[in-house]
Amino acid sequence: MGNITKSKSLWSHAWSSLTADRMALISMVIIGTYTLIAVLGGLDLIASDWAKEVGPSYAAPSWDNLLGTDIFGRSVVAKVIKGTEIAMSIGLFTAIVSTVIGVFLGSIAGYYGGKVDEVIVWFYTTFASIPGIMKLVAISFILGKGLFAIYLALGLSNWVHLCRLVRGEVIRHKDREYVQAATAIGGGNFRKLFKHILPNVFHIVIIQFSLQFQTAIKSEVILSYLGLGAQSVPSWGTMINDSKLELARDVWWQLSAATAAMLIVVLAFNILGDALRDALDPKLKGK
Amino acid sequence: MSEKILEVKDLVVQFNTDRGVITAVNGVNLEVYKGKTLGVVGESGSGKSVTALSVMGLIPSPPGKIASGSILYRGEELTTIEQTDMRKIRGNKISMIFQEPMTSLNPVFTVGNQIEEVLKLHQRELSKVERKKKAIEMLTLVGIPSPEQRVKEYPHQLSGGMRQRVMIAMALSCEPDILIADEPTTALDVTIQAQILELMKKLQKDLGMAIIFITHDLGVVAETCDDVAVMYCGKIVERGDVKTIFKSPQHPYTIGLLHSIPAYDSTTGEQKGRLTTIEGMVPSLFDLPKGCSFQDRCGYASDRCRSEEPSLDDVGNGHGVSCFTPVQK
Amino acid sequence: MNIYVYTIRRSLYVIPILLGVSMMIFFLFNFISGDPTSILLGPHATAVQMAELRQELGLDRAWYFQYWDIVKSAFTFDFGRSWTTKQQISSMLSSGAIPSMTVSIPAFIISTVLSISIALLISFFRGGWLDKTVVFVCVTMMSISSLAYILFSQWFFAFKLGWFEISGYENGFPDFVPYVLLPILIWVMMTIGPNVRFFRTVMLDEVYQDYVRTARSKGLSEYYILFKHVLKNAMIPIITYVVIQIPFLILGALLTESFFGIPGLGSMTLDAINGNDFPVIKAMTILTAVAYIIFSLITDVLYTVVDPRVRLK
Repeated sequence: MGNITKSKSLWSHAWSSLTADRMALISMVIIGTYTLIAVLGGLDLIASDWAKEVGPSYAAPSWDNLLGTDIFGRSVVAKVIKGTEIAMSIGLFTAIVSTVIGVFLGSIAGYYGGKVDEVIVWFYTTFASIPGIMKLVAISFILGKGLFAIYLALGLSNWVHLCRLVRGEVIRHKDREYVQAATAIGGGNFRKLFKHILPNVFHIVIIQFSLQFQTAIKSEVILSYLGLGAQSVPSWGTMINDSKLELARDVWWQLSAATAAMLIVVLAFNILGDALRDALDPKLKGK
Repeated sequence: MSEKILEVKDLVVQFNTDRGVITAVNGVNLEVYKGKTLGVVGESGSGKSVTALSVMGLIPSPPGKIASGSILYRGEELTTIEQTDMRKIRGNKISMIFQEPMTSLNPVFTVGNQIEEVLKLHQRELSKVERKKKAIEMLTLVGIPSPEQRVKEYPHQLSGGMRQRVMIAMALSCEPDILIADEPTTALDVTIQAQILELMKKLQKDLGMAIIFITHDLGVVAETCDDVAVMYCGKIVERGDVKTIFKSPQHPYTIGLLHSIPAYDSTTGEQKGRLTTIEGMVPSLFDLPKGCSFQDRCGYASDRCRSEEPSLDDVGNGHGVSCFTPVQK
Repeated sequence: MNIYVYTIRRSLYVIPILLGVSMMIFFLFNFISGDPTSILLGPHATAVQMAELRQELGLDRAWYFQYWDIVKSAFTFDFGRSWTTKQQISSMLSSGAIPSMTVSIPAFIISTVLSISIALLISFFRGGWLDKTVVFVCVTMMSISSLAYILFSQWFFAFKLGWFEISGYENGFPDFVPYVLLPILIWVMMTIGPNVRFFRTVMLDEVYQDYVRTARSKGLSEYYILFKHVLKNAMIPIITYVVIQIPFLILGALLTESFFGIPGLGSMTLDAINGNDFPVIKAMTILTAVAYIIFSLITDVLYTVVDPRVRLK
């Protein structure tokens, strides 16, 4: 069918323009490296001994401890590596939660229209009226502490933008000829939605996914500050938050290490997100 | 013969793209005479719009640039002119109207404001009141009803045809020497199209300007132009006065174009002959064939056409054809 | 239909949203977050103590009374008393508002004006090295955690270099000025990245429009085209973007206020979150949500005023 070949060429074109973009390529390598570190950390193959005392309390960076030690004499390098696992898992699962909600509600609202649409639009307008931090606090309060609560709290408070975009795009697509053609040959609603419309809004989902991923990583810091972050495992957020007591003693390395670790991967996601948008969003073609 | 006011010589325009450099205009020669209309005909991608934008000094740069050649306006070289001097010519001595009347006007300014803006720039001696008066005059001139009301309106309040009239009013408000019209009627209904063409002819008679009429529609050319240049893949393949081109075209491409427009018997009004299309597709500028660019679509192509590039040779009376196997009637 | 009729119609749409917001707040803070008395009294409280407290806080009343309190408070601004400080929340709000605004308003204005200026500048040189560099710096600045900005700046600029006050606040102009300078700077650093990027995108969307080509063909200078034609068109999304941020100024600079000891609504909110002070959290949520709804309305109405194309249906 026409739209399938069209979207195929869109993807192959996007891929070739992504790989031609040096910055996007570097970003993908960085994200790949972080993912690898996270997976190895998760399998306890690296940094499993992060809790071990490797030197005196607050030892400055040296050849023995490249990024120094924390209050308990633990290696900051090991904590950053272990923190990568937490950060990447928060990014991934949060992005999955918000994408599932956003795409589901957005496509249903856009496709069915009418009362269904009105209710969903009302719901997300209401939801968007409540400031993000209050939603985070309330949801965290209900769900309790722990990583699972963080995934859900961040995911549940970040889906509105994607939902709006998907709804708009589905509305744009549903009256196109190929969807009507699918109706003519007797396609059911779900078949139409999944087979013909969603592939055409997929590029938005990809772009938003990469943006959600990095927003979640940054938001974890705020959760840690509010005491709602990761418990009993080192995360970049808790490391940054801990440093508020360290700076008065000129202990800057834990803050710097965690900030830099986060900066690099968030920057990579931002650049990749931009490159994806340039490659996938036909509206921006030729600029 | 009337005064020659614009001469384009061996113009080459190139664009840098991700996939390499393309030559959008490749050695084009044109001459424009006072009070006459030159039609530049070709399919999209033939380089006709790029040629026009080069004359205006509006090639987006980067990625585009005029690689070589010259554009002489009343003896003044436009390819090397300072931007500030070019701005004094643009909109004043040489104006342009575009294909997209719906989007070519700024949506957030009134029609009057946009006409007055040109006057403010090029006719500094006019007072605010005089500018306003002139804007209304111009709208009257292009046949817009109740112009006193219309000057205060925004573009979205006007129809496509009306907007194109506003564009014309704007372009002509400084009484330019040359009006470049880039497919001005393509986006309009047939009846509106006829009205706009009629209007342009009338204004040309009144104001005495030259028109460069860019179009893909030979029917429009027949109605409006004095001279015609047919472009294909960045080159002029045939040029001559309008009668010669329509009565005795020699380039297979021109003939193909002529066969693809309906011709009507002038006495009975019945369609004559059958409509045909030109087989094949315009080759990509990224990979033009060696020799003549038209070879793959041409019924007369010989081995020579596939190895050597023809040049635009004069066959008499200013009629030029760029073909090794011209069609003789 | 004229603008007044539109405004009234659009205002009516506020009602279901207000209803939704109050329901959501009730749902989040009264319904599922459970019994707050155990948090307030600690784990060793007796059942009698808890019952007394529930009665005192009005938690023993039927759910619709409690819901009605929320709806009512959106109009009367009577939010009851704080659980921790026991003060009237309305008086806490009014004493916190000024310190918050001494940071948020100048910071918001500086950031917006500066970002628009930078965006104009780089749109003029679009595609060039300046544009690319600025965009990269913006994206980098966006990628740094907001808490890191606060910690680094406070430690480096105030503690190490001694350029600014480390913490504290004094009421009245110009006494507060030295205390708000660094918080304002931090706010600007945190917001300038996303702002410049947004404004640049908006302007570049316009730069490639056909009307810009027309303006060039008239002989207008690039400078003039950017400032008159492009900026006026870009102003439509810019105004929307800027106005919709105003309600969040109420929350102030949450973390910054709390780190710099500014007794504003931001630090009040954080204290409330840390101390499970539900009435205060609820009050701030209601306030911000209502402000957001009102400013969305203003944005929509402004939109029809600024953009002549919007035909009111």
